[in-house]
Amino acid sequence: MATPAIEVENLNVRFGEAHVLKDVSFSVAPGESYGLVGESGSGKSTVLRVLSALNPNWSGRVAFSGEAHRARPDEAFFRQVQMVFQDPFGSLHPRMTIDAALAEPLAIHGLDRPDERIAAALKGVGLDEGFRFRYPHQLSGGQRQRVAIARALILEPRILLLDEPTSALDVSIQAEVLNLLQDIKKQRDLTMVLVSHNLAVVGHMCARVAVMNRGIIVEEASIDDLRRTGGQDPYTQELLAASRHVAIPGAA
Amino acid sequence: MPDNAPLIEVENLRVNFHTPTRLVRAVRGLSFTLGREKLAIVGESGSGKSMTGRAILDLVPWPGEVLADRLAYRGKDMRAMSSSERRGLRGKHISMVMQDPKYSLNPVMTVGDQIAEAYRLHSKANAREARERSIAMLEAVQIREPGRVYDLYPHEVSGGMGQRVMIAMMLIGEPDVLIADEPTSALDVTVQTQILDILERLVTERGMGLIFISHDLPLVSAFCDRVIVMYGGKVMETLDARELRQGKHPYTQGLLGCLPDLDHPKDRLATLNRDPAWMGD
Repeated sequence: MATPAIEVENLNVRFGEAHVLKDVSFSVAPGESYGLVGESGSGKSTVLRVLSALNPNWSGRVAFSGEAHRARPDEAFFRQVQMVFQDPFGSLHPRMTIDAALAEPLAIHGLDRPDERIAAALKGVGLDEGFRFRYPHQLSGGQRQRVAIARALILEPRILLLDEPTSALDVSIQAEVLNLLQDIKKQRDLTMVLVSHNLAVVGHMCARVAVMNRGIIVEEASIDDLRRTGGQDPYTQELLAASRHVAIPGAA
Repeated sequence: MPDNAPLIEVENLRVNFHTPTRLVRAVRGLSFTLGREKLAIVGESGSGKSMTGRAILDLVPWPGEVLADRLAYRGKDMRAMSSSERRGLRGKHISMVMQDPKYSLNPVMTVGDQIAEAYRLHSKANAREARERSIAMLEAVQIREPGRVYDLYPHEVSGGMGQRVMIAMMLIGEPDVLIADEPTSALDVTVQTQILDILERLVTERGMGLIFISHDLPLVSAFCDRVIVMYGGKVMETLDARELRQGKHPYTQGLLGCLPDLDHPKDRLATLNRDPAWMGD
């Protein structure tokens, strides 16, 4: 078996008294889409923040393609691993045009031909060049999330971390963004980790999921198994039932 | 008045915004009646569903104007009422639960005092009675340790708890009609189910009418009795909630088709083709 793109072993994170991740372990193969589901406070976003080096206080072993992850990695790391956040409005600078927001990572990493790269990145997410000189408030939620995805992809990373990429969007826009992510994944052979509380979204995007509750991975399974068996752990079953809406009165 | 009389009648409701550059028509000719039932209004953002709720409560912000051929609460014409009469209706007879508890609660007042304030506005109760009633109401929305939660500030409660506080506040005046504007969109699925259970129980027990504004079609079809599908300020179709899947309008089908489904995986999600002809005129 090839070296996993991401390996996490006994990852622990504490915020003061609170023990938010307890011995979390999983691995993601190159080119795989891996899902993390759970409700707010289950620690799924914290896992992504450790992987993207936004949270330097952790213990355990994390490795990318066999190389140990450091708490404060160098620039080269960020060319490999990029993240898309939940709220597209909060993650784009309100006083920077789209063009400026996309040019910044290129300048930091000293990449050539910024003009061409920005045009290509916008085209890749289905936005025309007219968007380059607009500000985030002039775009709709779906367009902003496309810009956030373009911003992450402009460095041509190998790994894309997605933190609830569609939960702030309408269902119709969600479909467009999910289709876009799948197209990009096919084109670029990306490894993706998708965090969501929506099991249907994770099921659509990923083949394997880990269900998290209170900082612990309670169950790891393939989506097909979950669909068939309904899950082993009681929490998984509850989550599955809630996403199928069987728990709502009136539905049989 | 017989119990089966409509609580709310709306006929040809229009909400217009006169901006310096153009006229924005947020709602264009909406008609419905609400009895003691759960009615859902669904659509994407910008379809005018929230404005419909606000128009009923007279909460459309300036420079919006509300026009209607009929807008009545229990047969009384709301268009003829003064703004203080309309204010008297709000909270006591018709109330509204907003989408996000984080922005809708007063951040510098304890949640309990906010509920008590809503109660004292509509009754002559003294402070102690109001406190007792508020704690009882917090209990009714299934908050554990209501006495402790009463003295918490909004930033100290979770999203699900905040939403329950809002529901408690809106129901303490014992209204006949509750308008819930995306009450569960900001919540986790498991918490969502609990909130819906609470709404369901309270609405059934008190025989209220509920207008449930949402963009979540599966949820609406499981929870409500009737569904109005809106697009661009117009009604695309009105359906029995159980028959949502058989909806004929391409927009309804489009909204259903673009949902990922856990049990029926598909390679690509359908995307909506918005037909300009739907807007008509």
